[in-house]
Amino acid sequence: MKTLRKAILPFVVIALFAFLAACGGQSSSNGGSSSDAKSGQSASTRTDKSKLVIGLDADPPQLDPAMSTAAVDRQVYQSIYNTLVDIDKNLNYVPELATSWKISDDGKTYTFYLRKNVLFQDGTPFNAEAVKFNFERMLDPKLGSPRLSEINLIDKITVVDDYTIRIHLKQPYAPFLSVLSDRAGMMVSPTAVKKEGKDFANHPVGTGPYKFVKHVKQGDLVVERFDKYWGNKPKIKTIVYKPFPDGTTRLTNLISGDVDIVNTIDYKDIKRANSAVNLKVSSTESLGFQGIQLNTKVKPFDNKKVRQAVNIALDRNAIAKVVFFNGVVPATSPFPETSWAHPSDLQVPKADVAKAKQLLKESGLNNVSFTLKISPSPQEKQLAQMIQSMLQQVGFKVKIEMVEFGTLLEQIAEGDYQAARVGWSGRTDPDGNAYAWFTTNGTLNYMKYSNPEVDKLLQEARTSLDQEKRKALYDRVSKILWDDAPYIFLYYPKDYKAMKNDVEGFVHVPDIMIRTENLQFK
Amino acid sequence: MVRYLARRFLLMIVILFIVSVIIFSLVNVLPGDPARLMLGQEATPEALAALRKEMGLNDPLYIQYIHWVGGILHGDFGYSLRDHSPVLKTLLQKIPVTLELTFFSFVVAILIALPVGILSATRRGRLSDYLGTFFALSGISLPSFWLGILLIYLFAVKLKWFPPSGYVPLSENFGKSIALMILPAITLGTHLAAELTRMLRSSLLDVLQSDYIRTAYAKGLLERAVVIGHALKNALVPVLTVGGLQLAAFFGGSVITETIFGIPGIGQLVVNAILTRDFPVVQACVLFMAFMVVVINFLVDIAYSIIDPRIKLGEVSKG
Repeated sequence: MKTLRKAILPFVVIALFAFLAACGGQSSSNGGSSSDAKSGQSASTRTDKSKLVIGLDADPPQLDPAMSTAAVDRQVYQSIYNTLVDIDKNLNYVPELATSWKISDDGKTYTFYLRKNVLFQDGTPFNAEAVKFNFERMLDPKLGSPRLSEINLIDKITVVDDYTIRIHLKQPYAPFLSVLSDRAGMMVSPTAVKKEGKDFANHPVGTGPYKFVKHVKQGDLVVERFDKYWGNKPKIKTIVYKPFPDGTTRLTNLISGDVDIVNTIDYKDIKRANSAVNLKVSSTESLGFQGIQLNTKVKPFDNKKVRQAVNIALDRNAIAKVVFFNGVVPATSPFPETSWAHPSDLQVPKADVAKAKQLLKESGLNNVSFTLKISPSPQEKQLAQMIQSMLQQVGFKVKIEMVEFGTLLEQIAEGDYQAARVGWSGRTDPDGNAYAWFTTNGTLNYMKYSNPEVDKLLQEARTSLDQEKRKALYDRVSKILWDDAPYIFLYYPKDYKAMKNDVEGFVHVPDIMIRTENLQFK
Repeated sequence: MVRYLARRFLLMIVILFIVSVIIFSLVNVLPGDPARLMLGQEATPEALAALRKEMGLNDPLYIQYIHWVGGILHGDFGYSLRDHSPVLKTLLQKIPVTLELTFFSFVVAILIALPVGILSATRRGRLSDYLGTFFALSGISLPSFWLGILLIYLFAVKLKWFPPSGYVPLSENFGKSIALMILPAITLGTHLAAELTRMLRSSLLDVLQSDYIRTAYAKGLLERAVVIGHALKNALVPVLTVGGLQLAAFFGGSVITETIFGIPGIGQLVVNAILTRDFPVVQACVLFMAFMVVVINFLVDIAYSIIDPRIKLGEVSKG
């Protein structure tokens, strides 16, 4: 038997050796992994201040802003591109590629004075012709740009001189600047587009502080400081974006790995992030709303009383507490508290089961049941189950059906649903949270909701440039929507980001972007 | 032998053809319209129609299939619906990653399975056997996401021996690449090791009962010589079968392990492609996986005859 032990010994030795060799390999690459892992513990041990790693919740699928539909793309755009105008923490418009602008009294003509001495990363000069090229590209129906619907009110673009451009709108459109502060206002290099064609998305060129280096799908996306950038020279040389679809993994890599900042942390992880000594957490309310969309053209939600019963039966505070660990704000309208259009007098009511029962009785319907469609995620499921049990007390029978997100969107577009859990990421201008959603035949109005008064109010609000007047109009809209209840507003999401203690210069703007330009290490 | 190889090769082509038809049909019955997913919530019906037309989604299925297969025969796997990058290029980026993970997982698996399996079989009914069997059972029952997270927690968060997750190509930073591979390799390798251990133990036990082993002992050979020299070779055939199947599965990428450890391999690619309805990428990935299964099965068959010369390829058994 001893002999056998000897026979096996080599294997054990090899195993041990392999293990040690691996450890050795690891420690020999010290500059890379293990020192990074420890650098999180205290800022003073960070040796390499030239590289910052950003953890994202998904792999950015599209690097061409004219073609992008995924929210995560926009994080990377903050490095590669500039917008014509930007927004600050308080949602004021601030200059970026346009140093100033004038809006004609009728609200139909926008004149932009462009920044001089700006270069695209391929050396192409930025000027009025480049801006014109960009808009015409997005307006070309052949491109199939999702931006088209955001800017299709553009009637004509005139190049006044090299650094002045005039955009004429078909009708006054108050949210126009807000549109230009997002993807539609991101300027891409005309030379690169002409050269690369469709492949531009894989070789993006903008005017931003960092130029694109490489992207391995589901892997690293690397950008490097653009030395001829017009603005302040970024302190950090290289930025690496890494996707971590799983929230726990993302946070673990932030705490113990070489990730320096993450674009979002899950609500369930807020506590863990707060208690990690090497991290700081930042939060802001974002721009969107979340809730339940009701199909007002099918039973039982063609009956207004039934919709109202659902609306007042739900305990929004309990939902915020149980499902979201109080990481969200209970909602009553399409306008979150970050927006000047937020209706401060529309308080979040307590759930009123008795009144909901009464309304259901008045509706004349018995045994009301419906199917709530949700997309598959544990959080969605939990939310749906809470809704189910709250409505059960009123007498509703709710069936929950999980549908893959793309299919869900399709079914909603075809009207094949009664109730669906779909929300909106939100826009800077209140118009972007209401017009397409609640006007008759609005492009996002899959509730098939129609109220002529709402149509009139929203039309007026988008053509007026007087914010006080617009606020009054939106307040009125909020009240009517609450009463008509085509959409049950449940909560306003908040955005939570976490970063290592020595990361500085991050400003949390409600558009939840990580603006890399001013990031640096202590 | 040559005739056998030729026949097997032809068969491989037929299988791959059938597989390609199945893949193509299945991918096309997936619910969800890629155009809708690409354009998102705000898409207008006109934009959707235009995009569908541009992507060729309106053509009859058989035309789409012919275009697809014709392209592959010319080395053209099409373009991603998402970003228009060539699918082949993406796939070629992913293969080395998955290959590296597969290789290290196998090293881990074999380093564990051989000694543990042999010990269990030769020490049947004793403590080391029970420990070995216990290991095999737990290795098979432990879900990889749990083991992975456990390993990260212990070795990355608490002990800080390894980075928690990520990937660096071997060519870029050899040491770091290996360091990053250790935890995922243990996660994947443990499971495989457990299966191989179980197989090896039972097949070795069978072999050890046979007459020629008794003869070998009677000749006065040492146990080491008997077990390693005579029994192991014969016991390896079923182990090889299981190992081969697992190897093929690893080439399909280990989605869960890849996700936990942030490894950009084929598994993550295909899952992402499915979620975004990136048909050309899904098709290419699945076809690649099928190809690997067929090839590995073929190689395993050849390996049989090397390990056990009594197995003659292509000869009908006259038992």
